[in-house]
Amino acid sequence: MSIQKIYDAVMEYDEEAVPELIQAELDAGADVRNILEQGLVAALDVIGEQFSAGTIFVPEMLMAAEAVQAGLDVLRPLLVETDAKPVGTVILGTVKGDLHDIGKNLVGMMFEGAGFNLIDLGTDVDAELFITTARENNADIIAMSGLLTTSMPEMQRAVQAVREANETSTINVKTMIGGPPINEEFAAKIGADGYGMDAPSAVDRARRFLEVGM
Amino acid sequence: MSWTHRERILSALNHEQPDRVPIDLGGAEFTSITLAAYERLKKHMGVTDPTDVMSIIHSVAHPAESILNRFGVDTRNVQPGPFKEGVDHWIDDNNYVDTFNVHWQRTEKDVDQHFLHQDGPFHGGKLSVERVEEYDWPDGANVGLASGVKERVAEIKAKGDHAICLYLPGGVIHRGYAMRGFEAYLKDLYKQPEAIQRLMDKLCDFWCDTARIMVEAAGPENVDIIYFGEDLGTQDSCMFDPETIYKNYLKPRHGRMVETVKGLTGGRAKVCFHCCGSAYHFIPHLIDVGIDALNPVQVTAAKMAPELLKEEFGDKLCFWGGINTQKILPFGTPEEVATETNRIIGILGKGGGYVLNTVHNIQAEVPPENIVAMFETGVNHRYH
Repeated sequence: MSIQKIYDAVMEYDEEAVPELIQAELDAGADVRNILEQGLVAALDVIGEQFSAGTIFVPEMLMAAEAVQAGLDVLRPLLVETDAKPVGTVILGTVKGDLHDIGKNLVGMMFEGAGFNLIDLGTDVDAELFITTARENNADIIAMSGLLTTSMPEMQRAVQAVREANETSTINVKTMIGGPPINEEFAAKIGADGYGMDAPSAVDRARRFLEVGM
Repeated sequence: MSWTHRERILSALNHEQPDRVPIDLGGAEFTSITLAAYERLKKHMGVTDPTDVMSIIHSVAHPAESILNRFGVDTRNVQPGPFKEGVDHWIDDNNYVDTFNVHWQRTEKDVDQHFLHQDGPFHGGKLSVERVEEYDWPDGANVGLASGVKERVAEIKAKGDHAICLYLPGGVIHRGYAMRGFEAYLKDLYKQPEAIQRLMDKLCDFWCDTARIMVEAAGPENVDIIYFGEDLGTQDSCMFDPETIYKNYLKPRHGRMVETVKGLTGGRAKVCFHCCGSAYHFIPHLIDVGIDALNPVQVTAAKMAPELLKEEFGDKLCFWGGINTQKILPFGTPEEVATETNRIIGILGKGGGYVLNTVHNIQAEVPPENIVAMFETGVNHRYH
């Protein structure tokens, strides 16, 4: 039942309590995977739902993500030891010509909190860098973000480049896009595999890719 | 009767219908046009006046009189002058430190070349009341801030009968984000509420002082509209909880700003509040504190459909903006822009209460034909 306490501490945004409770639970012999899934991931999922529903807002998301991060810091070395595989590998960045990363950072926190291996390339990321990083890391998903309407043509170019790389090389990676001017219609139009309206829905979409098999 | 520009805009802000929709362009740093779009517009219109930069940080132009007149623009902007003997300085062409010791860096790789804040005096570590108090705060009544105001007002008065819009480039939280760092600031709303409120007070004091010296310089009888604002919404939701964070922390301070600026003009001036994103849940509070008009009315954000806003709040609040810069202006045809402009005027302008302007500054990639289509639709519009 003490994993419930970890869950509760995330829900209370208590970044100090989370690592302490995790350590206590580990000392008591709990399974690392259970702590991750039932304590951290489950709580952050609910936080994500509340955010999408508009009952909590950006500060609460940031605080919850921080609490989960503090927990992941304790768990990460142990997860490596257990040889547990991450849920999937996501390459994240804002597209070339766009330096606005507040939304992208929220998406990154949610992916990490959900147990994904996240490679955040930061801002102003060239399509070629997305592709080579995906290849080197055997990634499952490339997630691109942009705030400016001027970034939309670049997003289209990058998505197209990834599609071509999928056809001509050894990578097999899905593309996801998001950002204030982006919608489902635009994603479909440029041939992106998925769209995330907000950070939680981006994670949700990524999970669905992985469930159906790549 | 023939309407003056001032009468037209004030009539709309008093919820009456003037002869045609009043028009703003460049009344404030967030109702203008980015430099890249402006250069193309000038070329398209055959305007050869040198470009006057309104704000390097936002990369926006101060549109030439010839363009404002062609578009029938009813507003004229008055900005604060440069702070004198402050810490503000340029490090190089792409890096600037402002009066509040915030380091801004040009987004060189962006098309629009505006600046984003990188560092500030409260970045890192824990924010405390002492840290806020001990900071060497700039004086909002610094003489530099009022410099040029009197002359600019005289120039506007000499050229016509436009509505004088006094622009205050700050609010209670916006510069606070830059001084503390955006994410840390948002978390501090919960983690360090006392310190955050002290920071809000300091900024509120600063801008109230600036408003005072600017209105004094302009002459209180000459100021028609005062703009200020800050972003409370995101595309899909609220930045923070409107019923706790906004109501308890921001609302009383916005109330103080509105009371101050209105008081300075004997209650005459109208207050236009800028808030990007989904402002819906904040609107009842903004009405409570005495805001007259909301800008930019980001119609593509959540719960910001013009019909909904007019229906729910149109009797108490005016709308200033609303022409879609995320989709129609950059990617539509001139015909689509004209249709959309008429649609928005039809909805938001019913019974007055609307000033035509884009949702935020006209962005870099907007074709000049679309800009002309929007303003020509406005200037040729008739309510009766």
